[in-house]
Amino acid sequence: MDGAQLTQQIINGLTLGCLYGLIAIGYTLVYGILRLINFAHGDVLMVGCYMAWFGAVQFGLPWWAALMGSMLLTALLGVLIDQGAYRPLRRAPRISALITAIGVSFFLENLGLVVFGGRPKAFLRPEVFNHIYQWGSVRVLSLSVWTPIITGLILAGLLIIIYRTRLGMAMRALSRDLVTVRLMGIDTNRVVAATFAIGSALAAAGGVLWAMKYPQINPLMGVLPGLKAFVAAVLGGIGNVAGAMIGGLLLGLAEILLVAWLPELAGYRDALAFVLLIGILLFKPTGIIGEELPE
Amino acid sequence: MSRRWYEAGPLPAAHTTRRRDTRLTILASLAAAGGLWLLQAFAGGYVVHMTCVAALFAVLAVSYNLINGVAGQFSLEPNAFVACGAYVTALLTLSPAEKAASFILEPIIWPLSVISIPLLPALLIAGLLTALMGFLMGFPVFRVRGDYLAIVTLGFGEVIRVVANNAQAVTNGPLGLKGIPHLTDLWWTGGLLALTLFIIVRLVNSSYGRALKAVREDEVAAEAMGINAFWHKMLAFTTSAFFEGVAGGLLAHLITTISPSLFTFFLTFNLLIIIVVGGLGSNTGAFLAALLFTYGGEWLRVVEEPLNLFGLHIPGIPGMRMVFFSLILVAVMIFMRQGLLGRREFSWRWLWAVLDQRRP
Amino acid sequence: MSGRVLLEAAGLTCRFGGLLAVDGLDFSLASGELAGLIGPNGAGKTTCFNLFTGRVRPTAGQVSFAERPILGLRPSRINQMGLARTFQNIRLFDELSVLENVLVGFHGRLQASFLSAILRLPGYRAEEERMFARAAELLELVGLERLADERAGSLAYGQQRLLEIARALATGPRLLLLDEPAAGMNPQETAHLADLVRRLRDRMGLTILLIEHDMRFVMNLCERLTVLDQGRVIAQGAPREVQQDPAVIRAYLGPGEPVRPGQGAGDA
Repeated sequence: MDGAQLTQQIINGLTLGCLYGLIAIGYTLVYGILRLINFAHGDVLMVGCYMAWFGAVQFGLPWWAALMGSMLLTALLGVLIDQGAYRPLRRAPRISALITAIGVSFFLENLGLVVFGGRPKAFLRPEVFNHIYQWGSVRVLSLSVWTPIITGLILAGLLIIIYRTRLGMAMRALSRDLVTVRLMGIDTNRVVAATFAIGSALAAAGGVLWAMKYPQINPLMGVLPGLKAFVAAVLGGIGNVAGAMIGGLLLGLAEILLVAWLPELAGYRDALAFVLLIGILLFKPTGIIGEELPE
Repeated sequence: MSRRWYEAGPLPAAHTTRRRDTRLTILASLAAAGGLWLLQAFAGGYVVHMTCVAALFAVLAVSYNLINGVAGQFSLEPNAFVACGAYVTALLTLSPAEKAASFILEPIIWPLSVISIPLLPALLIAGLLTALMGFLMGFPVFRVRGDYLAIVTLGFGEVIRVVANNAQAVTNGPLGLKGIPHLTDLWWTGGLLALTLFIIVRLVNSSYGRALKAVREDEVAAEAMGINAFWHKMLAFTTSAFFEGVAGGLLAHLITTISPSLFTFFLTFNLLIIIVVGGLGSNTGAFLAALLFTYGGEWLRVVEEPLNLFGLHIPGIPGMRMVFFSLILVAVMIFMRQGLLGRREFSWRWLWAVLDQRRP
Repeated sequence: MSGRVLLEAAGLTCRFGGLLAVDGLDFSLASGELAGLIGPNGAGKTTCFNLFTGRVRPTAGQVSFAERPILGLRPSRINQMGLARTFQNIRLFDELSVLENVLVGFHGRLQASFLSAILRLPGYRAEEERMFARAAELLELVGLERLADERAGSLAYGQQRLLEIARALATGPRLLLLDEPAAGMNPQETAHLADLVRRLRDRMGLTILLIEHDMRFVMNLCERLTVLDQGRVIAQGAPREVQQDPAVIRAYLGPGEPVRPGQGAGDA
């Protein structure tokens, strides 16, 4: 592989990694506070994509308006899921909440199949994202350049919320100690709801970028990105926003480079995340920058 | 010395009535066998097929419950075990000619290309290989607990699917295996169910079963009481892998065509619904819920078919059943976490007591 | 009464992050002793038990039991060598019956294989008969024989503590570590417990080490006390000597009014 190809692959890997990272943040935020693997996160992403699709195709909205609208509606969906399905189980054993999350995930997938139909829908790239940049022999789709920029902006916004607002302070406190924070008179339920809203909105953003990258959507599209993003979150140390992003980037790069260097293993690409997961849990269960042990 | 508690009261009953219970169990098994014979002789192919499916789901649910409900290790891998069993058995029974004809992507590798053995040894080999796979999987898997365990086992299921899609010289990739002889009948499925129930119920009621429950209740305390939690989890996992592998083999010979898309997480999800609805930890619950799920699932097909109600045409909605099932799972978790039976089990003693109360 | 050294710890140190829970502990227990481990809250007593039983790995130091090093062994292995314990925050198998809780204790020493248990071969059946009979004796010993079929989680607090002892005894120990066995018991139950502990040592020949905050209980029962403070041994000896020790008084009450631990420090 020559330098140009390598550069191209690294850009591709980083782009993919940004998507994993955006999705992983949703897992990490929720896990940090509730110690719950929100199994339905990937399917929330799928719903977000359909929202954007309806916005752009049915209502003819410009892409950024469709994206914003989809993030907003998806945030609402996240809150609804939390309040309807997870909140009644806050005091139940953690496994009950996990089973419920699996149920919600299947509910969304199958409802998606019933409502949207099983046939994939084409997700057209807007013009800005659809031309090729060329530097020397490096050719890159403009989407691949924009994705890290958009991700950076969203991440900056998220970090401002987490470190500069009262809500963010409450979220950080909550992830340290739920009981004490509740005793201090903070409405934990609102903070949890806000966390779901933020996580889901990020999933929608990641999902829409994903849909533009592989320009089509279907009701089961969220499953694999969801699982892999979870692995990315564990890889970076679950409960840690920066870790989720780093884990996402690493996973994205690893997948792309595996295919680039060992094309005969391309078919095994979807298994790589789980092999990494098993490895990390065996050798460094706290993840790359995690502090506490799981359980 | 005064009378001890075990000389009167509930426990001696268990001891002295064991012989009666054994007789009743044998009687019930004979009755069940008679029922199978009647079904085989008089029922239509569709009913027979559904009963086979129901029995296989019961086998899967009871084995899955051993690791999830009895040992309390919430894992999500049965689709991997079923896939392993199905592929191994099918590859062993398919005729060389059939294999040569269907492996069009890549020719099948050598020893498999010439092997063709009867179903029984094939099932045994499949069960043992799946158990071995479970055993090897157990080493990394049981280093983690709780929701991490769930994700890692789910990951193994995905890896198996990816392998089945890619190792084309063995699995024929996405095309799968076709023309598997239709050898599974009521006797095979009924026999496997009986064997599974016999072994797993006995296991659960033995000292080993108590140890598994102790690990479920409190792993730290179980270790402190001399129970090696790791090996006991392995025991449950490997046992459950064996039966799931054999059930997978029979499933392959029931539906005659298998492909990787058959063994996705969806299969595990169905089993999860069954054991949760039945009551995690109850063999009786797993068994009953498996029957309810298979037959009830057929009945629920109504909502997917178009309906004419007093001249009003209601279009069927394909896929609606799964929406229902997911809602049931969530509702059970929120409103009746114990499922149908909690951890209660059927016993002859219980039946006797019920009959005694009814007696005038 | 004291025989050969049964349990020995040398330079045992355990650090949790920045906290030094146990700091260079040297401790030994002779076979047949009935000894107590006391100290203010957070002194590291329960951590010592966790170190002895293999639940927590020390940062440094050595532990040996019956002259064999046990560091790094699984808790289940250590238990099978003859070292059993109870837990301060009761850890019974709540959903199992009282009888089953005791039966579980025998499992670690079960000879019959998995297959023999499933097939109910004569070897397994004989062992199970013995397990049931022995469990009955143990329940009678602690006075829970009438509650054998109750759910363990439904027992009263004091009864749960007794069941923990019966379960630990079922594992066939030579050394029994009791972590605050009298906590939450009323005076009658405490008296019954003291009686039981003494019988375990005198008639069954067990070596016993107990942690307890109830000073009357400890003073009357134990022959030797070790006092821990901030992870270090600050005094050791017969109860009366220890009671007078100025270091002990300081540890319990802080520098100030000299009150003896027996009068002031209750079950904090």
